[in-house]
Amino acid sequence: MLSYILRRIIMAVPILIGISILTFSVMHLAPGSPTSMLLAPDIGPEVRIAFEERYGLNDPIPVQYVKWMGAMIQGDMGYSLVRVGMPVSEMIMNRLPNTLILMGASTIIAIVISIPLGIISARRQYTVTDYSVTFGSFVGIATPNFWIGLLLIMWLSVNLGWFPSGGTHTLNEPFSILDRLHHLFLPALVLATADMAGLTRYSRSSMLEVIRQDYMRTARAKGFTENTVIYKHGLRNGLIPIITIFGLMLPSFFAGSVVVERIFAWPGIGDLLITSVFQRDYPVIMGITMISAVLVVLGNLLADIAYAIFDPRIEY
Amino acid sequence: MSVLLDVKNLQTHFISKKQTVKAVDGIDISIKKGETVALVGESGSGKSMTSLSIMQLVPSPGGEIVGGEVNFNGRDLLKLKEKEMRKVRGNEISMIFQEPMTSLNPVLTIGEQITEVLRYHKKMSKEQARRRAVELLKLVGFSRAEEMLKDYPHRLSGGMRQRVMIAMAMSCDPKLLIADEPTTALDVTIQAQILEFMKNLTHQFETAILLITHDLGVVSEVADHVVVMYAGQVVETSDVERLFDEPKHPYTQGLLNSIPAIEGEIERLQSIKGNVPLPDEMPAGCRFAPRCPKVFDKCLTSNPELIPQEQGRKVRCYLYEEGEDAV
Ligand SMILES: Nc1ncnc2c1ncn2[C@@H]1O[C@H](COP(=O)(O)OP(=O)(O)OP(=O)(O)O)[C@@H](O)[C@H]1O
Ligand SMILES: [Mg+2]
Repeated sequence: MLSYILRRIIMAVPILIGISILTFSVMHLAPGSPTSMLLAPDIGPEVRIAFEERYGLNDPIPVQYVKWMGAMIQGDMGYSLVRVGMPVSEMIMNRLPNTLILMGASTIIAIVISIPLGIISARRQYTVTDYSVTFGSFVGIATPNFWIGLLLIMWLSVNLGWFPSGGTHTLNEPFSILDRLHHLFLPALVLATADMAGLTRYSRSSMLEVIRQDYMRTARAKGFTENTVIYKHGLRNGLIPIITIFGLMLPSFFAGSVVVERIFAWPGIGDLLITSVFQRDYPVIMGITMISAVLVVLGNLLADIAYAIFDPRIEY
Repeated sequence: MSVLLDVKNLQTHFISKKQTVKAVDGIDISIKKGETVALVGESGSGKSMTSLSIMQLVPSPGGEIVGGEVNFNGRDLLKLKEKEMRKVRGNEISMIFQEPMTSLNPVLTIGEQITEVLRYHKKMSKEQARRRAVELLKLVGFSRAEEMLKDYPHRLSGGMRQRVMIAMAMSCDPKLLIADEPTTALDVTIQAQILEFMKNLTHQFETAILLITHDLGVVSEVADHVVVMYAGQVVETSDVERLFDEPKHPYTQGLLNSIPAIEGEIERLQSIKGNVPLPDEMPAGCRFAPRCPKVFDKCLTSNPELIPQEQGRKVRCYLYEEGEDAV
């Protein structure tokens, strides 16, 4: 098991290097430079040259990359170009917990809602229940996150006043877990909707596949109730492919969190990313991209390990 | 010996908007305590559906038992509530299937899959069930039964898995074991071994067997009684010796002719021409008429009843009607 994990970690290294090269290149191909963003347009050329000199902006791009990467490995992501003197790593670390909390909560919501829905849908294939769930899923897949988000804010926070419309907690009040959860619920739900629809579909088809397996008939022939047959004999088999789907969904989850954090003024790395993009704060953008890439790769690694634990047929 | 299972006029249909498939169309089977009855017939004749109907495990929606009786130990199982029927399944009647490779759950250990039945039906403690499972595995020839409990099915060969299935099926000491082609998927040497274990165990526990197979070699070896099925109906029933000595129905004769003779000079292997009729093109008369070498006028217009013969044999063929001479 340990060697399997090690092998998977080693395999992740080239992927991360590839991603870093890609981000770095794209960032440099994009129009607009930090100089033009940060310095007033009427500034003299000597000041500009000094600025570029100081931040290494004149070095050849590969040199810039190697410098950046070398520092990155040591945990140094450089300094923000906008908030001068602020280390990127610190900016990200300040925000990261919020993003992780948001994603964690949404994952839980997605699992708790989608997997049971998928199972029910599969058990009642071609009934009204199944068709309703299927219809709902397609609506969910087709509807953009931000739109659902805005709709829910309008309805649940503006009109009904049940939930706050943004932020992580009520300002100027002592820490309260309930207040945090109250703030967390709506953004987490909206973020969950994106993957819920897909997850429901996958759970349904996975369970449908399982339901017609021979071992399910064996379980029924043992005299068990249909619930025991489904949940004891079926569910574990049905979950195995879903674990992989989770790993595959992670990137879209990150993408979704960018939008959701923005809408709900949730101070996570997604929100930071958008701000930084508008300000062309390269070090921050690249830092966030790299952190997200590492997290996605890590998430997939976890999914693979979970897969190996769940499925006794996997030899590692 | 008293009758253990008495199936009367059992009918199981697959009903869809397009058509109704009469997979089981009025089957009678009677099994005495401790007896082995073989149910034989070509693929698609409804053998599996008959056995699943007895267990009330017909795939649903679609399949439905539409009539008949399944008298088991003095009560009609078809009249039981689902909850009571569950106490019968796996406990009084258990089942093993054709596909040993896929009939065990890949994510549960062998131990779990055997002990769960004992704990459910016999309310055994974990420890009692574990000890019983070890005993059962030893009975089907596993010497390292203790360690096997922690194994997952994928490590076992087909023959080993089928032995596990037998151990599992026998765990609650059932009165009837239904074995749906238990050896078809296995190679010949393993087949003999599996049959041996089945025979020994059921003898020891006095379990009756309904053995579904299309292998007449197997039938001659283990069965006391034979029921021959064709297109959802019984066409002949007989004790095993008489059936092999003097098969009556032309279909049975055809089946017997299609077993390769091992002794003597090499015989030409004859197979029955044609195929089992599709459900939507059932012949108006005898269902076997289109393939029957001895067909005559009457066969084409009406389907014969099961006609009683000597020694309790029955045959569904106009050749054996009162006044006709056997050919
Ligand atoms: N799900 C289903 N829907 C419709 N018809 C079905 C279904 N399952 C079985 N049947 C019909 O029932 C008939 C009997 O099937 P069954 O499985 O009992 O045959 P069998 O005698 O066990 O054959 P085999 O030797 O191939 O196992 C088949 O001819 C088929 O047309
Ligand atoms: Mg069959």
